[in-house]
Amino acid sequence: MSRKSHFPLYVLFTLLLLSAMLGCSMLGAVRFGWHEMWHSSIFLNLRLPRIILSVLVGAALSVCGAAYQSIFRNPLTDPYVLGISSGASLGAAIAILLGLEAYLLGIGACALATGLLTIVVIYRIASIGNRMHTTTLLLTGVCITFLISAVISFLMVLHQDKMDSIIFWTMGSFSSATWPDVAIVAPIVLVGIGVVLFYCRDLNLLLAGSETAKSLGVEVERVKKVLLLVTTLMVAFCVSTCGVIGFVGLVVPHCIRLVCGPDNRRIVPYAILFGGLFLLLCDTLSRTILPPAELPVGSLTALVGAPLFIYLLYRNKKSY
Amino acid sequence: MITLRNLTCRYGDKTVLKSLDTHFDDGDFYAIMGANGCGKTTLLRLIAGLLTPQEGAVMLDDNNVLQYTARQLAQYMAFVRQHPYTDFEFSAFETVLMGRNPYQHRLQNESETDWQIVEQCLKQTNTWHLRFAKPNQMSGGELQRVMIARALAQQTPILLLDEPVSNLDIAHQFEILDLLRQINREQHKTILLVIHDLNMAWQYCDRLLLLHQGGIQYQGPLREGLTPQNIATVFGVTATLTDDNIHLSPRH
Repeated sequence: MSRKSHFPLYVLFTLLLLSAMLGCSMLGAVRFGWHEMWHSSIFLNLRLPRIILSVLVGAALSVCGAAYQSIFRNPLTDPYVLGISSGASLGAAIAILLGLEAYLLGIGACALATGLLTIVVIYRIASIGNRMHTTTLLLTGVCITFLISAVISFLMVLHQDKMDSIIFWTMGSFSSATWPDVAIVAPIVLVGIGVVLFYCRDLNLLLAGSETAKSLGVEVERVKKVLLLVTTLMVAFCVSTCGVIGFVGLVVPHCIRLVCGPDNRRIVPYAILFGGLFLLLCDTLSRTILPPAELPVGSLTALVGAPLFIYLLYRNKKSY
Repeated sequence: MITLRNLTCRYGDKTVLKSLDTHFDDGDFYAIMGANGCGKTTLLRLIAGLLTPQEGAVMLDDNNVLQYTARQLAQYMAFVRQHPYTDFEFSAFETVLMGRNPYQHRLQNESETDWQIVEQCLKQTNTWHLRFAKPNQMSGGELQRVMIARALAQQTPILLLDEPVSNLDIAHQFEILDLLRQINREQHKTILLVIHDLNMAWQYCDRLLLLHQGGIQYQGPLREGLTPQNIATVFGVTATLTDDNIHLSPRH
């Protein structure tokens, strides 16, 4: 309920994020000084798009996590736990088999279609009765992830020639980031985040429950549809460019909530900045820790996220 | 004015409300009573536009309640639910501030007026000292009073309350009902109150809607309606009335 403006802090953390981007772009297997950097094609064509993409994807996944947590009224949800990322990766795999891998928009569209299908299934199954039950919601997500990884394994066996590029989608990595990826993902993420920011107060009210939100003046069904569509769109295109990266949307909003409370009008702006920073640091770590080899960035985020998830589950156990 | 036209509501095969036809005048203080499961909560949810009836309609000033936008409805009536619940921890102040949502535009912050109204509502419900408290730091009764404060912050001409005092100790029951009566007398708000305690209703409410088996057993002045016959029919207990008290005993 603090009335003081957070604007100076937003500016401060934006500057922090920008300087982290610059700093991280100087790290890596190849090092360069300040002047040669701007003439190096490694920097301009490999590292810069990779860094921008990791920030965009980190911001998008964190904002989606915050939105899902309010829509499903459950602090344990994020695009990965709900199975939406896996759902989108199935679409990406199908697109590759159809020979669409050269077109990011084609992959993105397929990923969007299966991602939307997944969220409709989750929503139908988990929203029995007035309140979403944690157990049902999480089990649905886990089962969908199992089902989809089974289908993807099956597809890989059938099409062994394309196995490498499909495996990429299930592991999560920024190693193949290019400027065209950035050019497609950036507008989608920026518009998507804008829409979520627009609905921040409605997200707060949804936390009180659908009926209460409606009696407080929220067009609940419309708001949920718009937000689920927009967030799934962001997740689909993130998955299309860098594969499935888990737990970002769980870790970042949770840590922000610990510091500045449950108000989404604070959480979402900070999720943009710290989500971007978190994934940037994870990705930089994944490519610098064992040079020139690279760890999948998804394994690093899971290393942070999975223990936090278990802790949250343990703590919440008492209240259910 | 709220009008019910041939209002029928079913859950699956079970008919909860059968062809209700009646109206509630502006400024009335109603007790809605009846045995458990007779459709009191369903009736409030229908009036609040949260349920779609199978037949008939709820009319608000000659328009079907379902035709209003959520925002218009939230400026028209506030609903205090039986079990307030949330996993996320907004303070009491933030919770009451949500009652101002129907008056705020998107991307606009709370105005000075909003803050003053919230402060006033918290003070009215005697919860100002709890303004920084989170739900898990409040008792059931305190939380209920915060929910009533949020409904007041909506500044609606109609208040719907579903058993708002059943979680409260006797002193707070009097406090809340005193407050509701004061609001009804001074601000002429229409109040529809689902309440179980016959004596509390007897002392505070002016009019009675008595539901029985999905229909209306009685509607009218409360003190004329709470007769031993009606009480026996609806609740199956024996009632003895004195001037300002109802004595109840199990029927033998």
